[in-house]
Amino acid sequence: MKIWTSEHIFNHPWETVATAAWRKYPNPHNPAVIGTDVVERKVVDGVLHTHRLVSSKWGFPRWAQALIGSAKICYASEKSEVHPSLRKMILKTVNLTFCRYIAVDETLCYTPHPTDPSKTLLKQEAVVTVQGVPLTAYMEDLLTNKISLNAGKGRQAMEWVINKLNAEVKDLTKSTDEILNHTKRSFDDITSTAKKSMDDISQKAIKSLDDIQNLRQSSSFKKF
Amino acid sequence: MNSIGEACKQLKDEYDACFNAWFSEHFLRGETNDSMCAPMFKLYQQCVKKAMKEQQIELQEVEKDMLGTDQERKVPPSKS
Repeated sequence: MKIWTSEHIFNHPWETVATAAWRKYPNPHNPAVIGTDVVERKVVDGVLHTHRLVSSKWGFPRWAQALIGSAKICYASEKSEVHPSLRKMILKTVNLTFCRYIAVDETLCYTPHPTDPSKTLLKQEAVVTVQGVPLTAYMEDLLTNKISLNAGKGRQAMEWVINKLNAEVKDLTKSTDEILNHTKRSFDDITSTAKKSMDDISQKAIKSLDDIQNLRQSSSFKKF
Repeated sequence: MNSIGEACKQLKDEYDACFNAWFSEHFLRGETNDSMCAPMFKLYQQCVKKAMKEQQIELQEVEKDMLGTDQERKVPPSKS
């Protein structure tokens, strides 16, 4: 058994990180994950519980494939809890495909940074157990190294999603501004058109009145 | 993002979009009522469960409802 732990600080509030965590995939920083499916999800006592099936493509070295099989697509079970009142999100992932020989239990925990609530602390832990195959310790080392490498990619992946989310929000603000400006301009247009037509109407009305009066005058002149 | 079932992709995309909006705009603001995306979730669920069966993904543990039941593992009560 091999245990690996790590901590990382995101310079973003917890809400942003938690939102990004759901939208982590598809991600160019972690192309191995090819699918996620929600198997079960419910809110119990204000806590969101989710069970997801994560499909990924793992590239094992050929010699390792000979030992553990060359499953092309691997499945993992991810159970998570989001506590909005505590501002805590915890995800536990267990691989399902290599259950016979290899167990990788990974836990991710996102909480606000204890001294700076505008930042988010990620605590990550992985427990790797390899049993029943030769070179157990070597295989555990190999997997632990791979997890360490993937953890770095995971953080990059999260930053990538957060950037994307922020850009979306900016886009949204931008388009709202544009709509507002546009609306204002259209209103101005309508007002000026309306004003113009009112002016036209009044001018025409005045003209017609004048005409009527002229007509009357001329007709009364004729009378006398 | 893909689904294990090709046919479920569109249902998944629709549900995910609904969930993402619900999560940030409702759940994180303290509204825990999740009926907003429930109809989409139901359709998507039916599709995924069928796809899992078809692909013979051995997920007895996954299929079993544990959350919210007595079988859910909970932190033991602290000794005070």
